[in-house]
Amino acid sequence: MARKHHSILSAAVSACLAALLLCLAMAIPVSAAVNCELNNPVSDVPWLFPESTSFKTGYFSFAARGGPPLLRKVETRLGGFPALYAPLNVPYTIYEIYNGKRKIGYVHGVNQKGQYGVLEVFLSLDMNGVIKAFYIQRMAGPWTKKFTSPAFGRRFVGLTLKDFEQYDTVGGKGSGKVAALHNPAPEAVTDFLGLLRAVKKNLILMDEFFYSAERPST
Amino acid sequence: MISRFQVALKNLLRKKVRTLLTLVGIMLSSWVLVSLLGFNRGYEQALNRDIDNMGYQLMVMAKGCPYEAATMMLQGGAGLRYIDRSMVDSIVSNPAVDKVTPILMQAFFDPNKGDGGGIAGYYGVEIATYPAMKPFFRFRQGGWFRDEHATEAVMGFEAAELEQREVGDMIMVPEKNIPLKVVGILERTGTQDDGTIFVPLKTLQKISAIDKITTIGIKIKKDADSSKLENALYQLPDVQVVSFSQVKQTIMKLISTARVMVLSIAIVAIIIAMVGVINTILMSVLERKQEIGILKTMGAMPGDIFRLVWTETLILCACGGVGGIVFALAFARVTDIMVRSILPYAPSGGLVMIDIRLAALTLAIIVAVGLASGLYPAWKAGRMRPLESIRGEG
Repeated sequence: MARKHHSILSAAVSACLAALLLCLAMAIPVSAAVNCELNNPVSDVPWLFPESTSFKTGYFSFAARGGPPLLRKVETRLGGFPALYAPLNVPYTIYEIYNGKRKIGYVHGVNQKGQYGVLEVFLSLDMNGVIKAFYIQRMAGPWTKKFTSPAFGRRFVGLTLKDFEQYDTVGGKGSGKVAALHNPAPEAVTDFLGLLRAVKKNLILMDEFFYSAERPST
Repeated sequence: MISRFQVALKNLLRKKVRTLLTLVGIMLSSWVLVSLLGFNRGYEQALNRDIDNMGYQLMVMAKGCPYEAATMMLQGGAGLRYIDRSMVDSIVSNPAVDKVTPILMQAFFDPNKGDGGGIAGYYGVEIATYPAMKPFFRFRQGGWFRDEHATEAVMGFEAAELEQREVGDMIMVPEKNIPLKVVGILERTGTQDDGTIFVPLKTLQKISAIDKITTIGIKIKKDADSSKLENALYQLPDVQVVSFSQVKQTIMKLISTARVMVLSIAIVAIIIAMVGVINTILMSVLERKQEIGILKTMGAMPGDIFRLVWTETLILCACGGVGGIVFALAFARVTDIMVRSILPYAPSGGLVMIDIRLAALTLAIIVAVGLASGLYPAWKAGRMRPLESIRGEG
């Protein structure tokens, strides 16, 4: 009986050792493609969210939550056309911002087609979805500085999704606070409209994936 | 009449857990071995394919570091050396040369790229000669430039995807702030061309205010002696020749260390599995001492007992070997991703190539080593004295 147990144990150890060797030979993390990330979150987050003491990086995607129906819903809220660039399975990056142990907001970025290349637009949002900071990480063109100036960025501070609800991302027509956002570079209408569309897209995505889920149902 | 194979199989099935665990050990060894052999072959094939996809076998560039052009593309190295366009005419006259294409590589600093800015690389190519070097290029949208002076660009698949460009869109050359119209987007090639932005040579020369080139790509005639051509090219003033066969050798040398390491792991895995086989078969023989003794009293010769025990080893190793090969085939893509992430350089395409010949070779190795491991238990079983075995406790 003891011999039988010994032989089974020995065979099991052999199999485990071989498995371990296989894992050692091949155990490497597989990286995933992401949608829009801060180039250097460690230094970017503190100035995008001065009250932050730490942050957590997370990912969300349509494939993981909602699928095609949610994608269609977001596209409809965006005006139906043109479609979102990112496919269903591409994860969006979200930075959850903390002050001590208390979550105080989010930093989230989206890609948007611009005049000479992609626009990477980030927003800092508090827990009520109010914009605290607006940041263009990437934009091509001679007018870039006009859009990345602090003065232009400040115009977005305090706006919420409610302000963008009536904004027409295709025609570029808005009302209220959004209509008051003047284009600092009239020669770059495509980029200006692209930025507004990016902000609305960003706010809608945040609403669908986070704020709606966090709001108590009525 | 019951065959020896059936008896051996029944013996193995008596101790199902032990047999299963031994099989798992052999399967894992077989998996590692066939994947390694598949990688050995696949890596070289993928490297050859990448080199073929370059379109040319030789590159001529100004004297200096042979990897300067590549460094410039990656890190924006300054002080790139140039060669005169007239050099192309002196090379094309060589009878061993099939096709020649001049290339100008330029890097511009893009302050909006990455953390603190990055380098945007542009490839100036001649519409008359470059497409002929890359006949395998397929366009997802549009096509090549209209002429050599057009302010147009053709983007690789990933470059277009990254910038969300389509045919008809514009891109801006950083630093120079010169707009270019996108006229073509390539299908994915799986090579560095996917991230490249091609611009007409004359246009890029005008943008950079340079009338020279950085590189000449040379395609050699099929029956020509490439080393003779290389020697002839070395006679040209102030140039150096980079042969892709040399590049391949360098990469293969770099990769050889990794191959030796993985081979060592495979050998250790095989040894562990074989120890498992010896242990399993030996235990099985010792447990069946009385049975073997009875068989011998009934007239079984030592050779019969030896073959019976050896058949058990054969079944174990053959089943484990086949199982490992099936797993290796099923998870070849996963292995590919894992291997790719540890290598310093991995060519495009499949790195693990397992075909029927390789599978058969692996199975033969596993069975041969397994049978060798089964020699001692089989010999011991064959040598048992019948009366002593029957008298002994089971």
